[in-house]
Amino acid sequence: MNFNGLSIEQAPPISAPLRFYLTAPLFAIVAGFLILFSDTTVLMSRYSIDSIIITHALTIGFLSFIMLGSLSQMLPVLAGVVIPKVDLVTKVSHGFLVLGTVFMLLGLSYDNSQFNTIALIGLGIGFLMIIGVIFLSVTRVKNFTPTVKAMAASLFFVFFVVLMGLFLLYSYVDDTYAYLRPLIANIHSVWGIFGFGGILIIGVSFQVLPMFYVAPKFKQFCKKKVVWIISIGLFVWLGLNIFYDVYALLAKLWIATFFWAFATSVWKKLSARRRPISDTTVWYWRASSVFLTLGSFLWIFDEYFKNEYIVMVAILIGGGFIMSIMIGMLYKVVPFLVWFHLNGMGYMNIPTINEMINKKLARIQFVLFIASLVGFIFAFYYPMVLKISAISFIISMIILEYNIIAPALIYSKIKKTKPDFDMNTFATI
Amino acid sequence: MSTIKEYLTTDHQRCDNLFAAMEDEASASLENAKEAYTQFARETERHYQMEERIMFVEFEAKTGMTEGPTAMMRHEHAQMRQLIKQMGEALEANNKDKFFGLSETLMMLLQQHNMKEEQMLYTMAQQHLSGDSERIVSMMESMIVE
Repeated sequence: MNFNGLSIEQAPPISAPLRFYLTAPLFAIVAGFLILFSDTTVLMSRYSIDSIIITHALTIGFLSFIMLGSLSQMLPVLAGVVIPKVDLVTKVSHGFLVLGTVFMLLGLSYDNSQFNTIALIGLGIGFLMIIGVIFLSVTRVKNFTPTVKAMAASLFFVFFVVLMGLFLLYSYVDDTYAYLRPLIANIHSVWGIFGFGGILIIGVSFQVLPMFYVAPKFKQFCKKKVVWIISIGLFVWLGLNIFYDVYALLAKLWIATFFWAFATSVWKKLSARRRPISDTTVWYWRASSVFLTLGSFLWIFDEYFKNEYIVMVAILIGGGFIMSIMIGMLYKVVPFLVWFHLNGMGYMNIPTINEMINKKLARIQFVLFIASLVGFIFAFYYPMVLKISAISFIISMIILEYNIIAPALIYSKIKKTKPDFDMNTFATI
Repeated sequence: MSTIKEYLTTDHQRCDNLFAAMEDEASASLENAKEAYTQFARETERHYQMEERIMFVEFEAKTGMTEGPTAMMRHEHAQMRQLIKQMGEALEANNKDKFFGLSETLMMLLQQHNMKEEQMLYTMAQQHLSGDSERIVSMMESMIVE
C-alpha cells in the first residue's frame, strides 16, 4: 500500500490544481461575452456554430479544467496514489489545453482550418496526456472505494468523449465525414454530461457530503450500484440511439431517473446534515439539486417536442447542476489548499479559510450566477433578457476569478516571508 | 468486540457529531458553546492519544515502519491540536468570525485525515495486527488520557 501521496512533499504542488482553477473562469468570461454578442434565435439551435463555440468555452474551458485540476489534486488524497510527474504533466497538458481551446474557439468562429488543426493538436495532446496519466495512477489503486470506482468510470467516458470531440473537430478541417456530425455530437454530449461530469460528481459527493457537512452517508446500494447502473444505461442508450432510435427514450428514462434520484438524495442529505453552517457552498449544492431535477425531467419531456428544449436542458444540467457544484467546491477547496500547503511549510499565522474569500462577494457571485441561468431560460420566451443575463453571468465569473485569485495571492505573499517553524525536521517523512 | 478499524472509525463519527454539536451551539452563542467545545476537544484528544500511544506503537513495532504513515498522521495530529487550541482562544475572545474560520479549516483537515486513516492506515493495521486486535481495542478503551 502506497502512502507517499499523504506526505506534503509528495502531494501535488498547489500550482497543479490552481493553474486549472485560475484559468477556468477566464473561459467562462469569454463565453459570457460571446452570449452577449449573439442572439436568441441563433442560440436556440444546439447545432448553430455560436452555440457550439459557447458550449465548448464552458465545457472544455470551464468544466473540464476544473474537473481535471481537481482529479490531479484529489486522487492522492482519496486513493493514496501518486500521479507520476504531476507537476510536469499538469503544466504541459494545461498549456496544450489552453492553446487548443483558444484555437478551437477561433477556428470555429472564423471557419479557419489551420486554427482548427492547431486546436486538434492542442486538445488531443492536452486531454489524452492528463487523462492517460491519471488513468495509469488509478490502475495502481489498491483500495477501490466507490468514489475511486466512479472516478475510473468517468475517466473511461471522458476518454471516448475526447476521441469523439476530436473527430468532430476534424470534420471541420476535412468535411468528408461531416454527415456523421449530428449522431456523434449527440453521443459526445450525452456521455460528456452524464458519463464524465455526472458520474464524477456522484462519486465525489459520496465522500464530500458526509465529510464536509456531517450529512448522513449514502446507502450502500447507492455507493455500490448507481455508477454501474448509470454506466450501463449510457451504453444501452448508445446502442438504441444508433440502431433503434425509437426506443432510445427508454434508456433516457433510465438515466434521468437515477440522476433525479441522486438530486433528491443530495437535497435530503443536506437537510439532515449535522453541521448548521449554511454557507455559499451549501446554497450551490441546493441549487444544483433543483436544476438537476428540472433538467432531468425536461430532458425526457423534450423528446416529445422534437428536441426543441435541448438547449434549455443543457443550461439546466450543464450550468445549473455541474457548474454550480464546481463553483461551490472551488470555494471550499482553494482556501483549504492555500492553508494546507502553507501550514505544511511551517507557517502558523495563516488567515483562516473564511478570511481568504470574502463571504459577501461569494454570495453576490452566487446570486448573479443563478440569476443569469434563470435569465438564459427566460430568454427563450423574452429575448430581451438575454443581454442582461449575459452581463450578470460575466460579472459573476469576474467575481469568481477574483475569489480564486485572492487566496492565491495570500499564498504567494505569505510564502515570501520566513516560516515560523523549520519544516526540514519533517523532511524524512 | 469490534476490530481496530471498526472501533476507531466509529470513534471518528462520534467526534464528528461532537464537532457538529459544538458548531450548533456556537452558531447561537459562543458563550454557550464552551461546554460543547471542551467536550469535543477532550474526546478528540483522547482519540489522538489512543492512536499515538497504543495503536501506532503496536503498528510500528510489528511493521518496523516508524517513518511511514504513522509519522505523517502524528504530524497531522499536531496541526489539528494547534487549530483546536486556537479555536479555544477565539472562544475566549468571543470572536465568532475567527472561531468559524478555524472550525472550517479544522473540518477540512480533520476529514481528509480521517479518510486517509479509515481507507488506508486502519486497513493496514487490521491486516498486520489482526491477531492482537482484541487486546489492542481493550487497551484503547481503558486508556487514561494524559
